Amino acid sequence: MKTIYIKILVFVMFFTGIFQLKLLDIAWGNFKIIQALHIILSIAIILFFMAPFIYTHIEKYFFIKKVKSMEGWLLLCLFLLVTISGFYLFFIGNRGGDIFGNFSFNLHLYGSFILIFFFIYHTNKQQKPNINSQIILALLISFVPLYAQTPKLSLSEFEGKTTGYHSEDWTNSLKCKSCHSEIFEQWSNSNHKHIAGSNPYYVVMETLAGEAEGQEFRKWCMGCHNPSAVATGLGKTTHAMAGNFLSNEMFEKNAKTLSNDFKAHGNFRVEEGVSCITCHQITKADSKGNASFVIELDRKKYAFEDSTSKVGQWFNQRLINSNPTVHKESYSKPLYKESRYCASCHDEFHPQNGIKIVSTFQEWEKSPFNNPNDKSKHKSCIDCHMTNLKDDKFSPLKGTSTDGGVVKDDVKVHYFAGSNHFLAGLKSKEHEEQTLQLLRTSAKLDVAVKDNKLLVGVTNIGAGHHLPTGAADFRELWLEVSVKDKNGNVIYSSGKLKDDGNVEEGSRMFQKVFGDENSKPVGLLFWRYKTLLSDTRIPSKERRIESYEIDKGAKYPLQIVVKLNFRIYPQWVSDAVRKVYPTLLNPSVVELMKIEKEFK
Amino acid sequence: MKKLLFYALIIAIVVISIVLTISFFTPPKKIPEYSDEKLRELALERGLRAAPSSFDELKKLVDDNSNPMTPQKIALGFELFFDTNLSKNKKTSCASCHSFDKDIKNRGALLDTLTKNDKEVNNCAACHLQDQSGVDRFTFSQGDNFVAHPYLLNTQTILNVGFAKHFSWSGEVSSIKEQSANSLQDHYKMNLSPKEVETRIKENPKYAQKFEEVFKEGVTFENVTKAIEVYVKTLVTRGSYDIFLEGNNSAMSHEAKRGLANFINFGCKGCHNDISFGGQSIQRFPLREFAQVYDLKPNFEVIPTPKRLDSEFPFENSGGYLGKNNSHLFRVPILRNVTKTSPYFHNGAVPKIREAVDVMAKHQLGRHLTLEQIDEIVAFLRTLEGDIVDYKIKEYR
Repeated sequence: MKTIYIKILVFVMFFTGIFQLKLLDIAWGNFKIIQALHIILSIAIILFFMAPFIYTHIEKYFFIKKVKSMEGWLLLCLFLLVTISGFYLFFIGNRGGDIFGNFSFNLHLYGSFILIFFFIYHTNKQQKPNINSQIILALLISFVPLYAQTPKLSLSEFEGKTTGYHSEDWTNSLKCKSCHSEIFEQWSNSNHKHIAGSNPYYVVMETLAGEAEGQEFRKWCMGCHNPSAVATGLGKTTHAMAGNFLSNEMFEKNAKTLSNDFKAHGNFRVEEGVSCITCHQITKADSKGNASFVIELDRKKYAFEDSTSKVGQWFNQRLINSNPTVHKESYSKPLYKESRYCASCHDEFHPQNGIKIVSTFQEWEKSPFNNPNDKSKHKSCIDCHMTNLKDDKFSPLKGTSTDGGVVKDDVKVHYFAGSNHFLAGLKSKEHEEQTLQLLRTSAKLDVAVKDNKLLVGVTNIGAGHHLPTGAADFRELWLEVSVKDKNGNVIYSSGKLKDDGNVEEGSRMFQKVFGDENSKPVGLLFWRYKTLLSDTRIPSKERRIESYEIDKGAKYPLQIVVKLNFRIYPQWVSDAVRKVYPTLLNPSVVELMKIEKEFK
Repeated sequence: MKKLLFYALIIAIVVISIVLTISFFTPPKKIPEYSDEKLRELALERGLRAAPSSFDELKKLVDDNSNPMTPQKIALGFELFFDTNLSKNKKTSCASCHSFDKDIKNRGALLDTLTKNDKEVNNCAACHLQDQSGVDRFTFSQGDNFVAHPYLLNTQTILNVGFAKHFSWSGEVSSIKEQSANSLQDHYKMNLSPKEVETRIKENPKYAQKFEEVFKEGVTFENVTKAIEVYVKTLVTRGSYDIFLEGNNSAMSHEAKRGLANFINFGCKGCHNDISFGGQSIQRFPLREFAQVYDLKPNFEVIPTPKRLDSEFPFENSGGYLGKNNSHLFRVPILRNVTKTSPYFHNGAVPKIREAVDVMAKHQLGRHLTLEQIDEIVAFLRTLEGDIVDYKIKEYR
């Protein structure tokens, strides 16, 4: 083979690499094509042209002509190094977890310059500089920009896409799993994943809202619970079926239904609910609530990112891993660490009359946890809700967020521990444990007896918002008290469960009770809230004292047991939902703290 | 020799590249951008007319001299339609499978079910009554005693069938009267003989007088089916598409209008035609079978013959139903309200509307639609969705 061909090919490899330089910052549409071309061409060139050429070249000059060329051997070494580092980058990637990735990247980058220098030196030394190499150079330089202009057309089309997003824009979360398996697993059993069609309480409430207020009203719920459905024009949240029965998705571990759907339909079937892409493509968020975020799905995609074939997907992952900077930038933004990012959904108001229904973010804003002046005291949402817990204490998880990636001191876990231990616990004990631990960090009890009065203090020590917050009308936090006299007879009790499972009347509940315009409790229709019937929630860092009268004739010493109980949904709500979902279990009562004390 | 090989390789590469780039040079069929007036004209030309908005118009379209629609007869049919006594176990009425609330204006059925303890729970209907879809939303229908139909057939909607010419999945039934007689007698539906139906009706004194008023012959099996027929003919829905046809350009979104243009130009309207968007003819499905799947696993035969999987349909062939004469002939389903009646096809094997559109385009039209085209067509189909029209027939007399 003529050496001129080899020269062309070497420059093809070199220039397709050079165009990926950050310094040049070429348009993304061109970048992704050049990146893929660089790898495909290089592998093909090395296998079919370079390897045979090097073999015959050495045979001819070293073994037959006995030429001793030092820089020839050096060139071979360099070529091998650059090739090996290239293979490493492609097959294993520069994910940040090992030093080799970074080393290979730099070796591949700088080595190629040295290589090309030696290559020109090597070729020119043997013969008079000929016009060929200059022609090749000129050709390549003029050819590449010409080529690079064509894909720009498609880029502008992409920008002109205003009619709405299609299923392929909502990249399925399963695609993220291939590199972020641990995070995927955490998310797949979390309440963020199961916030739409697989959450029985939500499905019932959305349907009820549609029935009571008209089908359009569902959009209010779906804005936060099911943004992909809203964006692709679905009018309501759908649930999975197993033949003629409701699927038991609420008990499924690791998003089995989603993963089966993905295997069968790929990205063609839109993933409903809060998927990876929903949160990780939010570009703007403000603290207004009611889904006040902007999702921008027109992002920089590597070549073959939307490929439906296995080979294409495999190749795409190699491309991302070999140079992941753009990938990182397009899926993670500084905004994601701020509380107002979460506020876009965790504050909720009625869309027509503006009455505030959930104000978790506003509660946080006013709490001591919001302290931007003193960084040591400032705690944002993710400092509690996305930090790993161990032995009832925050214990930042040391590990990686990408398989084989950089070891971080505090991996932001995607368990999304809040208060719903129940639904997450149906899928994974680890999730339940994380949530229960977080709940236990939130409050403290103290007990005293004074003038025949039992005084129980409850302090919100750990939550940067009211206790309870969120859908506080559907959360039960209450005191269970029992007092026994000297003879062991119960002389006072409060906060027991009745036979039907509801908390007995007169118990000291910490919650918000909504009433309608006639001051009647709204029941399930919480959006009809107009008047606040009572609000006994405990603001952040505040202490509430509940006092109980004890009979004056009681015989001391008194044996007093006080428990702070929590239940995620009241019995009457679960009972209602179970009429539609007969397989739903009963949420258990969780004991957050217990004090047993004797008073003389 | 070496040279020959080299040139052969070069030529092969060139040929393959040309083949691969052909698709870039042949632009896809371009659907022109129509003005609203033009689009309306095209739709009307092809018979995709609006559903009637008044009882008079409805009567002009569907009334039949052999069984005229009178308010009394409709009222009688209405009672019969919701009467669970017309099934062997006294639990199934027509409305059990063709479900919607007896009071079409009711906006509290789910809340009632959830909060009242005495309510008998039919858990799917609790949520889906408000859909007013005229189907049970099951994959396959379950009749008397909740026994599944052996063919695992999916319930078809009963809404807008007044405009159809063929009924049932095979399309062999040619009137609603005939179909309701079949349903009353079918072992897997209501499971009563004509004699038993008459006895059940006569047991109920409230019917005796009404039958006397409406029919000369009084209570007979045929008169029962006649009364049901006239009531079913009044079950019509109107959506934003109808409002668009009547002149309101803003009733349909731009995407939905593109979808309508696609619907007309790709040829969907060839079979899904007339007011009901279907039910007018019997057609072969699948027409193009290019999605054959073969099982290539070694099967230890003397001559290994690859087994053809799912050879009958481009989806799971559960139930094994093959249409009229076992020859893949099916009644073209009605597309009004189709977005409310998932799952799709005769055995309910396709759960999502986008997938159903894709299957239809591939196997009936031989087209690979782009995601955009699919979404546009679905947006158009959503404009065919609507609630049951209240023709205020009681005041009509």
